[in-house]
Amino acid sequence: MKLTTKQLTLCGVLTTLALALSVMENQIPLSAAIPLPGIKLGLANIVTVFALYVLGPVQAMLILVARCILGAVFAGNMNALLFSVMGGVTAMLMMILLSRLPGLSVYGVSIGGAAAHNCGQIAAAIISLGNTAPLYYLPILLGVSLFTGALTGIIAACLFRALAHTNLMRG
Amino acid sequence: MRSSPKLKPGIWDALVALIVLVMAVGCACAVWTGDSDGGGELEAVVRMDADGTDTEIRMRLDGLNRVERTVTSNGYTLQIVLTETEAWVEASDCPTQDCVHTGHISRSGQSIVCLPARVIVQLVGGDGGDPGVDAVVG
Repeated sequence: MKLTTKQLTLCGVLTTLALALSVMENQIPLSAAIPLPGIKLGLANIVTVFALYVLGPVQAMLILVARCILGAVFAGNMNALLFSVMGGVTAMLMMILLSRLPGLSVYGVSIGGAAAHNCGQIAAAIISLGNTAPLYYLPILLGVSLFTGALTGIIAACLFRALAHTNLMRG
Repeated sequence: MRSSPKLKPGIWDALVALIVLVMAVGCACAVWTGDSDGGGELEAVVRMDADGTDTEIRMRLDGLNRVERTVTSNGYTLQIVLTETEAWVEASDCPTQDCVHTGHISRSGQSIVCLPARVIVQLVGGDGGDPGVDAVVG
């Protein structure tokens, strides 16, 4: 894989942006509105969707993995790495698959990615604990992923529209 | 740009949302109404990773006044409270605090999961009842 200077710069900027969004959403007390601890908006997924369409799946995956590793290092919580990597990679693979289906828009891709992210995290929890108790959380997480996926889809669509006329979108 | 994303939602996006919804309902039916390990009296089962060894504590809730157990698992300490009808994590020094925020569980099949501490508090047995939605990944 050969990256141009522009692509490499964009990868760096998007990694930073994803990391910042990830840290920022930790400050949003979503669990106050929805009394389910651990629920997140998944704002960093906007960057993943954007990178997937603009740069391609390999670069988007690299940005995702870099964000997960740096996020765990900065948070000082390496235990969370397995969860963010499993959730993120599962979501990425699902979004790569869905983005290749011609009829689907960025909304469907985002919702599928959000649902896959939650499935990946529950799988990580089951592997980590060696117990299926976290499965009880999956139905709620899947239901919430409809809203969080649609939200990130709306924001990503706005982003694509806003940047449609720029050099950024012309490769 | 490698590929132009479609920006208007269509019927296929609705189908993806419907599939996710069906999965959520299917999962709920499978895990919330499944076998709750039991019959007999309601028991609290606390599973933890004490000094690298998987340890399990079982305690019958019937006739229990109020018992507070402090457990140390995977480097974190949790204060678990058990009463005749409920169980909850009163305090924890884990970074997420999700186990504390989960609140009280009272029906067979419900769980409190603390991932950083690798602790699971689960209610088993009893009449099963409506298992509800109180398991939370912490």
